[in-house]
Amino acid sequence: MSTSQTPVEDLIRSKVQESLTPTRLEIHNDSHKHAHHEPMAASTSKETHFRLLITSSAFEGKRLPARHRLIHALLKDEMAREGGIHALQLKTLTPAEEEKKGAAPPNP
Amino acid sequence: MSSIKEITSPSDFSAHVASLPPTTLFVISFHAPWAAPCAQMATVLSTLASEYPVTEPPTTSWVSLNAEDLSDVSEEYNVTAVPFLVLVRNGQTLETVSGSSAVKVRAAIEKHAAAAGDGAATKTTETAPTTTTTTPSDAAPAAATENGTDKEEETSKEDIFKRLANLVKAAPVMLFMKGSPSEPKCGFSRQMVAILRDNAVKYGFFNILADDEVRQGLKEYADWPTYPQLWVDGELVGGLDIVKEEIEGNPEFLAPYSVNLAAEGLGPDTATTTA
Repeated sequence: MSTSQTPVEDLIRSKVQESLTPTRLEIHNDSHKHAHHEPMAASTSKETHFRLLITSSAFEGKRLPARHRLIHALLKDEMAREGGIHALQLKTLTPAEEEKKGAAPPNP
Repeated sequence: MSSIKEITSPSDFSAHVASLPPTTLFVISFHAPWAAPCAQMATVLSTLASEYPVTEPPTTSWVSLNAEDLSDVSEEYNVTAVPFLVLVRNGQTLETVSGSSAVKVRAAIEKHAAAAGDGAATKTTETAPTTTTTTPSDAAPAAATENGTDKEEETSKEDIFKRLANLVKAAPVMLFMKGSPSEPKCGFSRQMVAILRDNAVKYGFFNILADDEVRQGLKEYADWPTYPQLWVDGELVGGLDIVKEEIEGNPEFLAPYSVNLAAEGLGPDTATTTA
């Protein structure tokens, strides 16, 4: 079994899937867009900046900060770790919201 | 609501002092453009000033001075570091606050503004003994050094949270960001500034890179691990993605805080809607 090149992404995927059983989960690694930024100069990780799109009924009845906090809690260790997740962009939808949005053009 | 007047010459200062009735609480803020905490203090002060109505005779008078340009005045008030606040009534210095603690500044001003009572003309030096250290009335001891950049060692968590509780309310819309609106140090902070500008929002900002106590403390206080953070009316709205989504869902989301409403000038450099 070969070791993964993307351990952080794998971890995000497994934790989110386990806790939120999302109907949609997209994980985008945007680290390369920030690699040249000064705060990242000392970093050797290629997994520092992530953008997640998650659709899950676990978000129902929760306002945006609460939804984000749910994910922060899941990824707490990875975010606190030195060299771990530096930035996290989150788009969180309930299945109903996603359906409603389905009619609209995709966001740039 | 009162505003802060920037005074640029010693003669203007003397004239202003001479014009003040004996009951007025005179708030003098000394700043220097090169000292980052001064910009934040300007925000805090203009917010405070706006809470005091303009009365006749004036209950409060707020002025801001460049400490280096008006060095004689600085010397007169023993200004050793910036930002530096001096509270004066009837020619008597009541208290000074050195450093950038919004909590201390607010506490000092509120204490002395309240002490004026109903503005009895013969109020003399009874209000408070002249103190040249920051107000000692904080509950928990803070081993504060009085240097301009407000390096407080061993500040208790309680103190920090008290400071933060006030800081998030320093303006109706408060942005905690990396860098400043004119010089954001992070792409997400830059985008947040742009959104606020596009919506003509009036806001205060705090550069968390300049103050590690706030940077770490606010993460805990807010239970939010990242910056930028936008706070509205003392409550956390969220980060960049949340703000984008809120506006997407409701374009009028920040309309109540727009400069397009009748806004009086709140003094220099309050909130920049143009970077």
